[in-house]
Amino acid sequence: MAGQTEADGVDRRQFLKVLGTVGGGAAVLSGCSTDRVAKLVPYMVQSEDQVPGIPTWYASTCAECSSGCGLHVKTREGRPIKLEGNPDHPINAGTLCSRGQAGLQALYNPDRLAGPMAKNAAGTWDAIKWDDAIARFAARVGAAHGELAVINGYGASTFSSLLTRWTSALGGFITNFEPFSREAERLANRKSWGRTDLPVYDFAAAKYIVSFGADYLETWGSVVEHQRGFAASHGFHDGGMSRAVFVGPRLSLTAANSDEWLNVPPGAEVLVALAMAQVIAAKHGHALAGSLSRYSPGKVARETGLTADQITTLATAFAAASPSLAVAGGVGAQHRGAIDLCQAVNTLNEVAGNLGRTVQFGSAPAASEGYGAIQPLFDRMAKGEFQVVLVHDANPLYTLPRSGKFAEAFAKVTFKVSTAAILDETAKACDLILPNLHGLERWDDLTPRAGITGMMQPVIEPVRGGLHTGDVLLKAAKAVGGAVAAFSAPSFEAYLKGEWQKTLNAADFDTAWREALGKGGMFSAAPAAEQPKTAAGSEVSYTTPVFDGNGDYIFMPYPSMQYHDGRGANKPWLLENPDPITKITWQSWVEIHPDTAEKLDVREGEIVELASPHGTLRVPVYVYAGVRPDTFAMPLGLGHTEYGRYAKDRGVNALDLLGAADGQGFLPYVATRVSLARTGDYRKVARVDGMPRQLGRGIIQSMPIAYAAKGMTPEQSYKAAGGSFPESNTELERTALEGWRERQLEQTRVGNYAADNMPKWGMAVDLSRCTGCSACVTACYAENNIPTVGEEQIFRRREMSWMRIERYWEGGTGGEPLQARFSPVMCQHCDNAPCEPVCPVYAAYHTPDGLNGQVYNRCVGTRYCSNNCPFKVRYFNWLKFNDTAWPEPLNLQLNPDVTTRARGVMEKCTFCIQRIRGVQNTARLEDRTVRDGEIVTACAQACPSGAIKFGNVKDPAAEVVQWKRDQRGYTMLEEANVRPSVTYLAKVLHVEPAAFHGSEER
Amino acid sequence: MAVIAHDPSMPTQTHAEVTRDVVRTITDKPTRGYYILAGTMAMLTLLLFITFGALLKYGLGLAGYAPPIMWAVYITTFVFWIGIGHAGTLISAILYLFRSRWRTAVYRSTEAMTVFAVMTAALFPIIHIGRQWLFYWLIPYPNQRYLWPNFKSPLMWDVFAISTYLTVSSTFLVIGLVPDIAAVRDHVSGWKKKLYSALALGWTGADSQWRHYTRAYLYLAALATPLVLSVHSVVSWDFAMSIIPGWHGTIFAPYFVAGAIYSGIGMVLTLIIPLRKVLGLEHMITAYHFDNLAKLTLFTGSILFYAYGMEYFIAWYSGNPFEQTTFWRRAFGPNWWAGWTMIICNAFVSQLLWFKKIRVNIPALFVISIFINIGMWFERWVIIAMSLTNDYIPYAWGQINPTWADWCILAGSFGWFGLWFTLFYKNFPIVAIQEIKEMIPMGRRKSPAEAH
Repeated sequence: MAGQTEADGVDRRQFLKVLGTVGGGAAVLSGCSTDRVAKLVPYMVQSEDQVPGIPTWYASTCAECSSGCGLHVKTREGRPIKLEGNPDHPINAGTLCSRGQAGLQALYNPDRLAGPMAKNAAGTWDAIKWDDAIARFAARVGAAHGELAVINGYGASTFSSLLTRWTSALGGFITNFEPFSREAERLANRKSWGRTDLPVYDFAAAKYIVSFGADYLETWGSVVEHQRGFAASHGFHDGGMSRAVFVGPRLSLTAANSDEWLNVPPGAEVLVALAMAQVIAAKHGHALAGSLSRYSPGKVARETGLTADQITTLATAFAAASPSLAVAGGVGAQHRGAIDLCQAVNTLNEVAGNLGRTVQFGSAPAASEGYGAIQPLFDRMAKGEFQVVLVHDANPLYTLPRSGKFAEAFAKVTFKVSTAAILDETAKACDLILPNLHGLERWDDLTPRAGITGMMQPVIEPVRGGLHTGDVLLKAAKAVGGAVAAFSAPSFEAYLKGEWQKTLNAADFDTAWREALGKGGMFSAAPAAEQPKTAAGSEVSYTTPVFDGNGDYIFMPYPSMQYHDGRGANKPWLLENPDPITKITWQSWVEIHPDTAEKLDVREGEIVELASPHGTLRVPVYVYAGVRPDTFAMPLGLGHTEYGRYAKDRGVNALDLLGAADGQGFLPYVATRVSLARTGDYRKVARVDGMPRQLGRGIIQSMPIAYAAKGMTPEQSYKAAGGSFPESNTELERTALEGWRERQLEQTRVGNYAADNMPKWGMAVDLSRCTGCSACVTACYAENNIPTVGEEQIFRRREMSWMRIERYWEGGTGGEPLQARFSPVMCQHCDNAPCEPVCPVYAAYHTPDGLNGQVYNRCVGTRYCSNNCPFKVRYFNWLKFNDTAWPEPLNLQLNPDVTTRARGVMEKCTFCIQRIRGVQNTARLEDRTVRDGEIVTACAQACPSGAIKFGNVKDPAAEVVQWKRDQRGYTMLEEANVRPSVTYLAKVLHVEPAAFHGSEER
Repeated sequence: MAVIAHDPSMPTQTHAEVTRDVVRTITDKPTRGYYILAGTMAMLTLLLFITFGALLKYGLGLAGYAPPIMWAVYITTFVFWIGIGHAGTLISAILYLFRSRWRTAVYRSTEAMTVFAVMTAALFPIIHIGRQWLFYWLIPYPNQRYLWPNFKSPLMWDVFAISTYLTVSSTFLVIGLVPDIAAVRDHVSGWKKKLYSALALGWTGADSQWRHYTRAYLYLAALATPLVLSVHSVVSWDFAMSIIPGWHGTIFAPYFVAGAIYSGIGMVLTLIIPLRKVLGLEHMITAYHFDNLAKLTLFTGSILFYAYGMEYFIAWYSGNPFEQTTFWRRAFGPNWWAGWTMIICNAFVSQLLWFKKIRVNIPALFVISIFINIGMWFERWVIIAMSLTNDYIPYAWGQINPTWADWCILAGSFGWFGLWFTLFYKNFPIVAIQEIKEMIPMGRRKSPAEAH
């Protein structure tokens, strides 16, 4: 039986969960294809790993960004239906971000090409056969005589090395291109220490984290890993937590999760870093003290807008907390001084003694090249040096600024080939498209850093008619012959295995191979490496960054958390999952500070025209106090002109305002000044937040760390800080309510409800860990077949997200710092639920295990339950969303354990009832009780911060009970006496109690 | 003979004149104006059903609903029509029991209005639910699945309240019509004669029939009387039983009943002021009757004034921040205009009726009645929809913009109501012939002309 060898030492559940497909490749694939069958035929000989109704799990690797997180792919009857993190994977340890989970919508994207396409003389596309396509490709490549360019966006892997070798064998030129490739950091590392690799950051160990523009919780680097580390150190534990400071012009999600946001002009981050380094170096008598003396806090304070005291205090605290961690980079800090900035931060880490502790070199992530490599390539294209170009897993014509005339240069290449699975901007400009397979359809691997190699295996037959580019290369090699004839592997699978045979124990390759597949890859400790040290006396410099143009405002594009470099824009889950900060869906926007907006007389939703020396664009305004008054910020990722129905013509591309040529070796994103002109047009902003202030209602409560450490409750904390905590009920009323509760309980103990051995499900959410990243929201969409409704319906707030991240602002006026509060809000499963008694047909009812059930089939849609729900967590099917949300083959993703809901019925969070029942059934089959922690809701499973805990609150040993007993625990809207099953643990703030009473929460 | 002061409640016509004047409204050929009116109403009714069909086909999302506002134009209009249905029974039943003689001239039209208003309102619970074709699940009918509705739900109470009210008020209307239909029967010929003969249920005017008739009418009046108070109380509990700030008020039952009667009389005025002119009944429905109607309006309007004030007082006095926010925003929030429309049209405009000059000024009353209609629609809009815009969780607060589907159903409901009423007044006596006749003072000598 497949995998028997693994069963040794692996318990049965684990075995079932991580069962890898092994053996003869496609032969074990019982995956379904999308070909329609006329008759239903049952399995004659049932595949070993397919039991109808039982999910099969395969390990794989996420290829949605370069972080290389491990996946567990849940398949049902041959269809992948959910992506979860691989618990054994060192990077993401079982969790996964929104973008990773939405990889399924790339697999099942309705706009995937059905097969190879060739552009004909008329400029339209002909569908052709694979043999024909490969023959055409090979003929061109063979005739190019080395005038071949390859742009590869796929990370370090066996495939990429094959592509590199294949290209060099043909005498071609290859560049590994990634739009957000952190080149400034590499260049800075070269200047600082003479090495171009990037370190790995240990956020978990850091006691003091200062970020200079690096959005490490959103888009900068290995985000899930950072979130895990951040939650470990910055989540309140053992009476303390780390402290985080963000230095930069915009209050990003990372900044909002920091304890302090130092709002400095773009470019001035460098000075803060240098001044901090100066203070520390001077104090410790570090060798670099001399070269830093020019940057004492007193000297730089004016330019940063901070006081010298602020910087000195920050530096002192930073040095005192050991180890600390400073990070820099990211698109938001990629101005023309970005190398200086990263170099300054290198120095800061060095003088603070963080190298080798929180900043670990050695496991060099694969060197991807970015702008510095692609620009010369396009220059050569423009000169007509190439006959053939192959673009793999990259979309340079979208991700590079239009002003760089890259499209024009690209057009100079005689024959252009793309492997895009969906017709994107670059593919559109090509002559031949050879659609690649999705990561869940192909054999592949990915090495995000030394010591970690994730594997991919096909878990479904190709959904559309793609072919692995590796196979294309091998087949083309055969046809071309000559120098590439050496690539004689019959298939890429064979090639991959051949390469792995070299690294694995060759004696028993099959076993080792199966183990690696089952585990999801090969994970070993990073090789030890010497940590760098700056030579004494080396210069750290600072020059005021230059901005193009003479507009009044600095333009700051930043990568969207959902769309990343634009590749997320064709996935409805990501489009509908609101931006964590602005809560805008499906749209582009430009962020303008309220004072600036008033000055310019623009309001939210007004379409303005932004003009830079490089271009103009029209975009609706979002008024945001978290951006500097002299800066306009705008997310990247939308504004596609191709790329499928969801992405095409949606929003605008902020890159249109940027200049290209610079010669610095990286694309300076924050390097343009823009002017604003009003157009008088208006477009409603598709926001999903109503009133962004808590109005003293205590929705998301918080407490100063001093009080949390003392074990105070939020109520005690508010009172101790001199704030008010409204007495919702007097003592007498509370006694009466308790009596009422007893009577209620007595009266309900009938029938199924009489049993004492029933569990009662409950949840606890630690708000000091929640970062608002919204991975749980996507998980909920995937698990529960929640339809996306689109922009037009969002205008009427008809989103169906059973779980939402509420975001409230605190302060921001009268000298109080602007702060954000985030909280996941799902159905609270109230014990005294107001939704239940008002339903005339018992569609809303209470289950014996304490859930608020919702019987879709019984619901007639009076919507009274939603009116009466104080949390507003019930969602109504206004239209036939279940008809429109999943155009084929997106519907293949649907979870067969959860019904889709018809229009006219109410739906809401069920605490993943299908998971509860699944585990209960397993436990019953095994004649045991459900173990604590065995049931994990989709949201809790996905959460990179581990902020959600679920379990049986009647089990005193359950972890969720321990969480609920935490002194920080409170329930929302206690005064409504609805008795929610969800307990929130108050957020803990690094704030002096004396400064705390200004809070608006209570 | 001594000249005695004329009692304004007494008709000035003779028995024959009463019959002639009323029957003429039926036997006269319909004018072009009538056809235009009836045609317009029919078109609006068609619009109602076409829109309803679209809602059935595509879903409620065609309307402007924007969570958290899950009840909006449809429920507002439902309560509006149910409220209108209250004036009729008040006038025909309660004032009958109180022997208020001024009711005689207007009660038939108000009673018809009641039945048609309830018929209109009854459409809305069906239109507004998500799966309209399953509306009968709200009715406790025996079924093999042993599924029973939830009697705890105020919506269930509502089903009973409305169906009871519709039954009783239509019975009351039909019973009251019998002698009058008989009178019409005696003045028509051809197929109409056959129709009215059937509807008159063999009425001959015999003493025994009169005896039974008056008893039946009295008992039905007694039966209908509590419904005037109970039905709208139950409707108010749809809201008061919830926990929404702005809905959850203990004063809701009397507050809603007063509002219902206020709106009902408003609609009566809107209907009969043009009607008496068109049908030439000015001498039967006189300033005296309007004066009395206006006094009733003033009374109920003043109760509303008090209730509005009391809602704000309670919001302040309770110290409940949710309640306070709702009422603050009702007056000064983004929808302040709706809140003030309600207060001005209802609380303030009704106070004009302290002046007798205004009470007997028919055009002025007509204008005021329009204000009342608008004001009472907005009252429900403010209470129902605007309270939902801002309840407990600020993040979920929202605003609503009704769409064509909302407005078409609203306009269509007027068409549906208007169509029934238009058909009714042209085919049935809009003034109660026999009751007017009862009020005519007996002559000392019977003149032969009067004996018929």
